[in-house]
Amino acid sequence: MAILRRLSQAFFLCLFVYILWSTTYPLKGLLPPETFFTLDPLIMAAVSLSGRLLLSGLAVSACLLLLTLAVGRFFCGWVCPLGACIDAAGLLNRKRSDVSDAHNRRMRSVKFYILLIILVCAVFGIQLAWVFDPMVIMARSVSLNLIPGLTFAMNKAFVFLVRDLGWTGGVLDLYRALKASLLGVNIYYFSHSFIILLFFIFVVGTSAVLKRFWCRALCPLGALYAFFASVALLGRAVTSCTHCRQCKSRCRMGAIKDDASYIKGECILCLDCLYDCPVQATRFQWSFLPSAETKPAPSGGAGINRRDFLFLACSLLLALGARFRGEETLDATRRAVIRPPGAPPEKEFLDRCIRCGNCMKVCITNGLQPVMLQTGIAGLWTPQLVPETGYCEYSCTLCGKVCPTQAIPSLSVEQKHRTSLGLAVIDRAMCLPWARHEQCIVCQEHCPVSSKAIKLQEDSLYGPAVLKPYVEAQLCIGCGICQNKCPVRPTRAIRVRPL
Amino acid sequence: MDRFKLLLERCTRKRMSRGQFIKLCISGLALLPAYRYFLKPLGAQPSGASGRSKRTIHANYDLVAVGGHDPYAMTVRAIEAMGGMGRFVRKNDAVLIKPNMGWDRTPEQAANTNPLVVAALVELAFKAGAKKVNVFDITCNDPRRSYENSGIQKAAQDKGASVYFPEEWNSTEARFAYPSPLENWPILKDALSCDTLINVPVLKHHGLTGLTLSMKNLMGVCLGNRGLMHQDIGRKLVDLTDFLKPELTVIDAFRVLVRNGPTGGDVGDVVEKKTILASVDSVLADSYACRLVDVDPRSIPYLAHAFERGFGICDIDKARILKLGA
Repeated sequence: MAILRRLSQAFFLCLFVYILWSTTYPLKGLLPPETFFTLDPLIMAAVSLSGRLLLSGLAVSACLLLLTLAVGRFFCGWVCPLGACIDAAGLLNRKRSDVSDAHNRRMRSVKFYILLIILVCAVFGIQLAWVFDPMVIMARSVSLNLIPGLTFAMNKAFVFLVRDLGWTGGVLDLYRALKASLLGVNIYYFSHSFIILLFFIFVVGTSAVLKRFWCRALCPLGALYAFFASVALLGRAVTSCTHCRQCKSRCRMGAIKDDASYIKGECILCLDCLYDCPVQATRFQWSFLPSAETKPAPSGGAGINRRDFLFLACSLLLALGARFRGEETLDATRRAVIRPPGAPPEKEFLDRCIRCGNCMKVCITNGLQPVMLQTGIAGLWTPQLVPETGYCEYSCTLCGKVCPTQAIPSLSVEQKHRTSLGLAVIDRAMCLPWARHEQCIVCQEHCPVSSKAIKLQEDSLYGPAVLKPYVEAQLCIGCGICQNKCPVRPTRAIRVRPL
Repeated sequence: MDRFKLLLERCTRKRMSRGQFIKLCISGLALLPAYRYFLKPLGAQPSGASGRSKRTIHANYDLVAVGGHDPYAMTVRAIEAMGGMGRFVRKNDAVLIKPNMGWDRTPEQAANTNPLVVAALVELAFKAGAKKVNVFDITCNDPRRSYENSGIQKAAQDKGASVYFPEEWNSTEARFAYPSPLENWPILKDALSCDTLINVPVLKHHGLTGLTLSMKNLMGVCLGNRGLMHQDIGRKLVDLTDFLKPELTVIDAFRVLVRNGPTGGDVGDVVEKKTILASVDSVLADSYACRLVDVDPRSIPYLAHAFERGFGICDIDKARILKLGA
């Protein structure tokens, strides 16, 4: 029976990776790219509150909460792909963790405060779900670390086989077929992605010290589910217990107390206590059926003590401090980066963006890159267009189609053609025709606006006629293809400025 | 050395502990990059190539211009008037058809070669006994979107051609017998290794060169910082044409983008000229195409340079030209 749960975890983990892997042009996956996010009540609630909008995913994720009301935190134990990774890392941890009841209680209460902070901030219009939500952490690591890493390695292996070992023929055909499908034409690269990986390793790696530490102590989605699961209909009952305490020391969530009773909200239905019990004294049963010894247990910590209050107050202050710097400051920071096409004003954008990395994964030219600290800590891992890496393809609307929270609106192709990301500015001190009187106009050649936002003027003052480009600000949409294709190195002679 | 012996001993006699195993794995992985130093010299190839060799083509005419309403039938007619595809493609040839599909535009927007022209050429090449027909381009916009939206990928694949995304690492450096600004420029190996090269550009406007034609289309097999080719473009393109020596040039002048090229995007900028040109010579094909849109060939930098150098068939009046109406 334990294998069933493992299979379920493996299935959902593979499904999760598959969905993100198929989040690429031409977007023909079996499931929509935002599936796991619309199933996530925390994201849907936090973004709806902070962004003041109604996401259709609210209804979908509410179904999951209803299911949790019926059977408990099955999501954490059977579905959550991050939980699967955490369980896998937990296999390294062989020692029995006999944590005292009081310690367990303190530990599990932390996540409720985190949840509370996220929801309170969301009410005040600040979205913090991106920091701790497990779906987002998992998606970011899969999209920005795992898939680029795997495709890079596969590509290198094929290059080695074909170029260095000379295996052409079948291998080359396979490589070309893979490139058109699984590998993708571009091998993606994301700047600073190792920091995302470090964060993921921290989240998963703590499990090697204490099993499911993240899920026990920190996960706000787990806290939300725990809240609902504490009154779930399915419950655990122990009859004729021998007090061997085996179930307690093995429980991966620290949900079982010394007296073999348990905290309902903490149970993720891994059912280990059911199989491990040497006298088969443990059963799971529906609470509307007559039962003997189940007693209701409170979900979170009982009451707030001084330390918890201080923790709550300090973190709220920190969170608010990170954002309440006035609209002017936000506007100023925004000028540091080019946002994806159609992105709302900076404050709204930050309230909606959950940093899941879908837009960066799908961006057809690899132009969307994670922001580090250019826009302050509040903008961490949000997408920006880096024209040197990739420009915004004129007729491509993929990023808006995969955004789970409408931070990037879904545009039609006609709307996209009229959407402006920035303004191209020519640096006449570097531009070849302007500075050195040489022919070039690569920027004008590539400009996708049908009437050309980059115009040419002929100049024959210093010798043979040379065409010099200049930007028509009214027409420029700031797609960045001019900057991408500009042959001047290392800094390009035409650069897009954010709006 | 002692440490190594210890390691060997542990590996062979004792069962390894987990920690030792992990250490071994990590040290093994750390050795991987060393393959460059040991294996690279073994498989080292000459890093340069000196262009395709010249083949004498005996065609009925130097150039055939065909008018009509169906690009597919017009292409077939033009090639037949030249004497059939058998004049260009030998049995078991590997044929490369190089269309212009560099832009994410539809056939109606006329920024890419008409897919029907490419389809006709693929079909003719196979009928003439080609072993394999490759179709590719190094695109300016995203390759997947350009291949798909130009309609060429589907049209050519339906006729049996292999349409693929060329590998950027599979390049060689150009070497010339004479001093050339293109010396050492990276060029796709696949473009040099083919037996027959058919160049299929579309006639359209271009901001720098006035028109973009067959010689400009050959830029699509070049890698590197292609923007730099735009300086002294006339000489570079003539050298490139001399380097690649296409056997057959077919210019698609069915729909012609007359303004805002080479990207276009506005159907209002497209004029229907309803002509397909087939020629054995790039310079002749390009200068004839200039006449179609009333442009002086000498105003096109690379044609001016070709005339000056006497490259190819420069004199239109002396060339054997056949004009076929609808």
